[in-house]
Amino acid sequence: MNKRFLRPKASTLLLATASMFAAANTYAWTLKEAAAPYSGTTINAIFLDRPGYKAAAKLLPEFEKETGIKVKFETIPYESTREREVLNFASGGAQDVVLVDVVWIGEFANNKWLTPIKKFTDDPKLADPNLNLKGFFPILLDSFGTWNKVAYGLPFDNYSGLMFYNKCMLKDAGFDAPPKTWDDLLNTYAPKLTHPDKNQYAFALQSRRGETQSADSFMRVLWPNGGSLLDAKFKSNLLSPQSQAGLDYRQKLMKYMPPGIVDFDHAEAVNALAQGHVAMITEWSAFYPTLTDPSKSKIGDCLAITTEPRGPAGLKPALGGFSLAVNAKSSAKKQAAAWLFIQWITSEQMAKPYLEAGGVPARMAVYQDKAVQDKYPFVKPMVESWQGGVPDYRPRFPEWPAISEIIAEWGTKMMLGQVSVKDGAKTIGDKMETILGKAGYYDGKKPLLK
Amino acid sequence: MKTSVPGTAAARARPRAASVRRLWLRSPAFWFLFPAIFALAAIGVYPLLVALYNSFHQYKLADVGSGTPFVGFDNYVATLTDPSFWQALGRTVLFLCLTLPIEVGIGLFAALMLHRSGLAWMRAAARVSLVIPMATTYAVVGLIGRLIFNRQFGVANYLLSFFGVAPLDWLADPTLAYVSVMIMDIWQWAPFCALIFLAGLAMVPKEAEEAARLETPRWTMILWHLQRPYLLPGLTAIMILRSADMLKMFDAVFTMTRGGPGSATEFISVYIQRIGFRLFDQGMASAQAMLLLILTIVLSRLYIRFVYREAA
Repeated sequence: MNKRFLRPKASTLLLATASMFAAANTYAWTLKEAAAPYSGTTINAIFLDRPGYKAAAKLLPEFEKETGIKVKFETIPYESTREREVLNFASGGAQDVVLVDVVWIGEFANNKWLTPIKKFTDDPKLADPNLNLKGFFPILLDSFGTWNKVAYGLPFDNYSGLMFYNKCMLKDAGFDAPPKTWDDLLNTYAPKLTHPDKNQYAFALQSRRGETQSADSFMRVLWPNGGSLLDAKFKSNLLSPQSQAGLDYRQKLMKYMPPGIVDFDHAEAVNALAQGHVAMITEWSAFYPTLTDPSKSKIGDCLAITTEPRGPAGLKPALGGFSLAVNAKSSAKKQAAAWLFIQWITSEQMAKPYLEAGGVPARMAVYQDKAVQDKYPFVKPMVESWQGGVPDYRPRFPEWPAISEIIAEWGTKMMLGQVSVKDGAKTIGDKMETILGKAGYYDGKKPLLK
Repeated sequence: MKTSVPGTAAARARPRAASVRRLWLRSPAFWFLFPAIFALAAIGVYPLLVALYNSFHQYKLADVGSGTPFVGFDNYVATLTDPSFWQALGRTVLFLCLTLPIEVGIGLFAALMLHRSGLAWMRAAARVSLVIPMATTYAVVGLIGRLIFNRQFGVANYLLSFFGVAPLDWLADPTLAYVSVMIMDIWQWAPFCALIFLAGLAMVPKEAEEAARLETPRWTMILWHLQRPYLLPGLTAIMILRSADMLKMFDAVFTMTRGGPGSATEFISVYIQRIGFRLFDQGMASAQAMLLLILTIVLSRLYIRFVYREAA
């Protein structure tokens, strides 16, 4: 028999068999049946007091009813979350579903506290055939859930920095559209929108000491100007002309921000826009529900949303968010139950209900729906931002929390004028290099991963 | 001739030790004390010993791979040569020196007012209201502080506006943020001083006080010569407790300012928390906590030596 004939025939047969098997498997797999061995299991999770978690809490009864798995969650403030989780890992505390901020993935993965998702996706009893990892925005799956090319978590609570603005205030000042660039914002818009006598300011950049200062304020002005925290060799890049231009820009913009901006957290910045004290803010997409809630916001129909302004380096918006992962120290039964929950809440099937309940899913498909785009005005700029964002907007290596503390202290001092931009950048750079040197990045003990 | 048989003494000692142990176990005093001793050992002594052990080891909770090798005095040396540690300690000591005298002064004034005769119902109401700030959780005090000192809608700026003062950036200005934390601490703890002093004043014999009032109309004379000895033990307790409290003050400051702006309100406890629970360097944080403990003990001994002795 002709081998050339046989070969395609055999391969076709194999393919057909595999397709039939896969189709049968797709047809056969149900969450209810997959969860049957784990019915009655209780899994523990940590949630934040943010819309995405409230949305998940609303949807939970559906999962519990379908699977018999009980999801017990505790809501704690963001600032205490890493502390709680690390202590849980160290002491064996009850935590099966791990909430992983984009900047914790390196630390958690390096310490082997997370289970690679391959363990579950390779198990046909646990893996939903419709899981479709390629359906997540690549930047979100890579940034929030993946470390050193290994996927540990699935993106759950997803943010992009957006510009929220009061179009009525802009119109009154003679502007029909929001600023396209940071330069326009500073030189054209800000002077006309700032009226200290009326307690009105052009812009508010949340800059309170903590992650707010380091992530939301300091890093936000570096990237659009072509600057960055580190160069390719992990040495400080803060004294580069581009980084300095970004930090100088922030100092100039402070003239058009409300007094006391160094004490503004997210709540204060959002509230300033909501109450009509500022015309523009750059904030996480997750604050949309707060700004459209009439009980919390007076802005009403004047609210408009666009991407963050572009800098000389283009559109480089803030990127942030959380993935959900399975605790490597949990029992096999709890791990399986935790995976089923994570897979379900981040699934394509649940993306729309999650969005409607107030969450922001990471699934691309849901945002292609015209009705969704019309109903949620933040969708279009958010999707555009995710398509052009910086995956390592903040370095995700384990040393970030220590570096963030230094930036939080010296970044605030810079804004207050207690130290010059150049001296502050030098101090941060020196301290940062000491930390990275001790960690072993400069002598080859650690790979240059961020 | 008597020869000592080896083991006889030990054999005799054994039943004696056993009977002493039995006596101990049957003693009501032992069982009354046991819960307190057990609780103290579990929540005080054991963590202290663990912290002492950790302070001589490298112990990074968030870097499991680095292990916990013995490092001798490295953590202590690193702490004592760290300018940030000294700056944080300096801010804390300044806070103690500025705030404690004000709390004692206000407390003493309030106690003397409440000690006066007449208006019994008002005094009773005032005593109850003095407990409220103390009963408030530290973190809540910090959150209340954020509201009071908010630039836009805070009560502090509202009150100042009556005097024509422009709104102040209470929590965004380094000096004012420090003052704001002081004000909240005084609000919470001056009543505690008042209650302690009130208890001291209640111990002054009525007859002696009445006689003194007949002798002199000057309340300062009565305070200094008659009431002072009764107030000094309370004052010592206040100084020891408040010093220890201020050295470990964390929740209120963290919720109010997070140690900022800049490092204006980064007190020593905020700094240690940052090392211990943000950087998870438990070895270094333990060494810092041990140094803080030594400082607290030294301060307490000084108070007892120079203040309490006066009362004797």
